[in-house]
This record gives sequence, structure tokens and C-alpha cells, in this order.
Amino acid sequence: MNKHTKVHGKHGEFALEAKGLVKRFKSGRSYVEVLKGVDFDARHGDLTMVMGPSGSGKSTLIAALSGLLRPEEGRVDALDVDDLWKLSGGRIDKFRLDHCGFIFQGFNLFPALSALQQVTTVLKYQGLSPEKAKKRAALALEEVGLGHRLHQRPAALSGGEKQRVAIARALAKDPQILFADEPTSALDGENGQVVIRLLRRAATEHGAAVICVTHDPRLEAWADRVIHIEDGVIIDDQRRTPNPEAILASH
Amino acid sequence: MSLALSTLLFEWRRYMAAVMALALSGLLVLAMTGVFIGIGKGFTAAIERSSADIFIMQPGAKALFSGPMGMPRRFVPLAYNHPEVVEVKTLDMSGGNFQNIKNVDPTATAADRAKQGAPRQKSVLVNIIDTAPGSVTIPRDYSEELVEALRQPFTVAVDETALTPLGVKLGDKALFNGQTVTVVGVLRGYPNMMQPTIVMSRDSLRMLGQAFEGPRVGPLMLKIKDPARAEVVVAQLNAMGNGQWKAWTRQQLADANAGAMFEEGILVIIIGGCVVLGIIIGVAITWQTLRGAIMANIKEFASLRALGVGMGSLRRIVMELSFWVGMVGVGAAILLTWLLSLLALSNAVIISMPPMLLIIVGGGLIAISMLSGLLSMGILKKSQPADLLR
Repeated sequence: MNKHTKVHGKHGEFALEAKGLVKRFKSGRSYVEVLKGVDFDARHGDLTMVMGPSGSGKSTLIAALSGLLRPEEGRVDALDVDDLWKLSGGRIDKFRLDHCGFIFQGFNLFPALSALQQVTTVLKYQGLSPEKAKKRAALALEEVGLGHRLHQRPAALSGGEKQRVAIARALAKDPQILFADEPTSALDGENGQVVIRLLRRAATEHGAAVICVTHDPRLEAWADRVIHIEDGVIIDDQRRTPNPEAILASH
Repeated sequence: MSLALSTLLFEWRRYMAAVMALALSGLLVLAMTGVFIGIGKGFTAAIERSSADIFIMQPGAKALFSGPMGMPRRFVPLAYNHPEVVEVKTLDMSGGNFQNIKNVDPTATAADRAKQGAPRQKSVLVNIIDTAPGSVTIPRDYSEELVEALRQPFTVAVDETALTPLGVKLGDKALFNGQTVTVVGVLRGYPNMMQPTIVMSRDSLRMLGQAFEGPRVGPLMLKIKDPARAEVVVAQLNAMGNGQWKAWTRQQLADANAGAMFEEGILVIIIGGCVVLGIIIGVAITWQTLRGAIMANIKEFASLRALGVGMGSLRRIVMELSFWVGMVGVGAAILLTWLLSLLALSNAVIISMPPMLLIIVGGGLIAISMLSGLLSMGILKKSQPADLLR
């Protein structure tokens, strides 16, 4: 058991701590180092923004933090797990199932399933009974303001609504860590604002450690902490006071 | 509803190719096997539909037309020794040359006569009934009127599908082995694609000089007091026969007749070829279709992986999907075969679909589908959630 990170921490306690992450990709005959010994931490209740230009390694960083992409060097302590990458693949999956939420730029919803089914499908894999899963899914969808669209399939939903379904799918699990990768970049200003507010709320009200990768500087207003990464190195790490009422408008 | 089933129903167009491939593979095997069983049925229908509860044949007979047929005539009174037997008749079948008669206009020119063509001549199979009311040899679906008509001397009945090949219609006179007979009845449901069949009474056959009159007769057809006790009586008759004969219930004989076709090596080779072809087509198309369909949803699968749903669970989704594709394929195969059998029946071809055959072929199709699912499993490896992060 590591001393730092905890499953149910108070606001400000460590949820995730990574040390010396190195990730290389093969490019032709040579290797490109995408992460060059990155140290990173995220705390319960914080909305941590990871910013940087494309190719800076920010997506690779969250892939390594979340157990999706094995780093060549370094370790990740997450919640009660001491060095996530020492676990077997199945145990890492289980860890993500129990504790992690994911939101992607593309919404990745099954075209055949209604909003409610998108959420219950994941919950059932967590071992919830169908009735419980349904109740919890409906609650999560109401929280993102889709209580009236439970039975719509993705084709009938707007981009913003789809992303809200994806958020509900991630939040219904009540995750302690929520990863979001460019969650607003496929959305217009208004929908983007709805989404970033939901992420803010996940941090404030649910106490989740929200790690949001973006290159949209306007989202900074909602963040507790902004980390800038460039060429695989963290160049800047600032704490700031978030403004939950900030306006993200395209005009 | 599960993810697999919802996906199949919602994106049915995507899975159509797989369903059709399975349906056609199933149709190929079902129709082929069905036709061969049907050929046999064409010969045995009248006997299997008779009101005989029990048949007695030679001990070595494996089916009606497989093994020794004739029996000593003295077995007839021996069979009456069983107290529950009410009627014993011998199965008689005959064959002959059937020729239609053309009305020739004596004033017609030679050219016109030539245009009319020669009379049609066919070798026919003859089924024999006894015309006593309620006789054991009368098929259960014959009407009173038909039996009454056949009771008249030198009369025959013909199945509707045999009318054209024989070149006759109801009321026509024709020649049977050179003697005049009248077509007094048209049957429905007794097609025989191999050889046209006519029905006549035993008395007509005797007058034509063809009935078995000697010391040997065909298999015995027995009617008993309570048909429900057929199996018990069969066992008792076998005990009484002391190895000289073997008694069968009607159902046992019908099953043996259906199976007898497959003693023919060539049929087994043809059907075996169809099965192999069906499996290759089915697996190839179903596999590629499933692969494509999974690939189309690969990002969604990857997002489930990101949320912690394990690879094993995704594999189960794929297997469930293949199972349902198989189920729909089985339904489609049976439907297509049934439609084809209706079409075939109008041309005297019987495609028989016994439940056992449907179960075996259906199970085979589901196995093909599941195998295709297993083969397409590899594509799931592409569901790398890390690829969703850009």
C-alpha cells in the first residue's frame, strides 16, 4: 500500500501519482520519446487540465496513467494500487471498471443502443442487477440533463447530447478518477460549456479527480490546476481558483 | 435486450449477408436431403398412410424396399392367432405399361395424325387397395367416393401430378398392359417424381391377371383393435413369430423407409458434398461479415475497454452475436426450404423436412455461425482504447 494515493480521499488528497514516466514510439528505424520522464499527480476534487500543442504527449500521458498504454519506464500509483503497471492486464481492466471513467473526443456510442442502454451496459459489467443499473443510469442521465431523452438512439441525438450520454456513461460508475480527452473539441461553444460544467461538477460534488486533456485555452477558467506539457516534458504547473460560472461562448 | 441482440436487430442490413449465406447453406443441404427422402416417400406414401397399425415382414428386411419382401401365405392365418388382430391383408404392388389412347379422326390426313404424335407410353407403379369398406390397405385420406369408384372393375386412380406425364385426364380410357382401364379418380398428395403411380383394386388386378395368387405373398398389413397398443402387440407378435417374421409399427417402418435412401453410397457422397460446400460458403461469408460488422463498431468496443470491460466480455458479446446470427439463419433456411418445397410439390417433387433433419441442419448452421464468430474474434484486438486518445 502506498502512502500517498487513496480511494476515498478528501478534496486535495492524492488520487493519482506518477513518477518518471517514459514512453517511446517506434518511428521507422529510430525511436521517438513522447514522454521524457514525466512526474504527475492529481488530487481528489480537482479538475486538472493538461494542456499542450498536438504531439506534445498529453494523450500518451493519460493513456499511461489510466493503464491503457504501458510506459517503458516509471510507475503509476493510483488510489489504493501500488504501481498500476505491475498488475496483470485483467487486473488493470478491473481497476478501470471499478474506479475510472473515460470521455473521448468522439463519443463512441453504440448506434443500436438507446441512451439508457449505453449507460446500463457498462453498469451491468460492474455487477449491478438490471433494475439497479437502470435506476442508476436514469439518474446519471438526468444529472446531465437528458432525463427526457432516455430512449433515444445516438442517431436522434445532437453532438452535445451524445457527449452528455458519454459523460453519463462515465459518471454513472461513480468513478474516483475521470479521464477526459478533448471532450469539447467536437462541440460548439454552448455544448462545450455544458460539458465542461459537468466535468467541474464531477470534481466538486463527486470528489472525483478529473484529468482533462485539451488544447482549448478557454477551458482553463474552470480548472483548479493547469499543467502545460510540451515535447514530453511538463513545462508549467499552476494552481488557480476556478470560476464555475465562466462563460464559454464562441461569439 | 442484450447489446448483441440489439445490434443485430438495429443493424440487420450489415448482418444480412451472413444470414443469407447461412440460409443458403442450410437450403442446399435441407433441399438435397429432403429431395432424396422425398423420392423414397413417393414410393411408400400410400403404404405409410394406410390404416395398417402393424406390418409383418421377413426377419432380414431393413425397410419396405430393402431386404427380402415375400412371405409364405400361411403367415396370414398365423397373424390372426393374436387376439387383438382384426384384419390381415397382404401388401401387393405391381407394375406395368401404361399407354394413353388418342382419339383419331378417321378423316384426318396423315400429316395431321403425325402432328398429333404417338400415344404416350410409360412404365407405372401400381398400388393395390382392397375395396371392402374400411379395409386395412386403404390410405386414410381416400374418400368413400374414390373407393366406391375403384370398386368398379378395370378402374384406376392417378395422382394429379401424374396426369400430364401419362397424358390422361379424369374419365379417360387408357391401356394398362394392353387392357383397357378407365381413370375414375384423381389423387392429391401422392406425387412420385421417379415413376408415375396408379392405384387400382386387388380385384381389378386379379382380373388383369397380375395379382399374387401363389404360395408367396408380400408383407402383411395388420389392423388391431386399439392402435395405441401397437407397440405392445408388435412385441407379442414378434414373440409368437419365433424368428420367422419381424413385426413393425407403422411409424417404425416409415422411419426405416426414410433412412433406407441413405444406404445408397452415391446419395451419401452427394449430400456429403453439399454439406462440405455449405460449410465452406457459410463460414467464409459469415466470418467476413462478422469481421466487418465488428470492425464497424470497433471504436465503441474500444470505449467499453477503456471503461474497464475486459476482453473476455467483448468476446462473449461477439459469440452471442454469432449465435443470434445463426438462429436467424436457421429460421431463414427453414423458411426458404419450405417455400421451395411448395414449389417443388406442384411438380411432383417432394422435399421432405422431418424434424430430426431440421434439428441436425439447424444445429450445424449455428455451429458454422459460432465458428465464424471464433474466427472473427481476432479483430477485437484492434479495439485498443489508446487509439481513441489523440
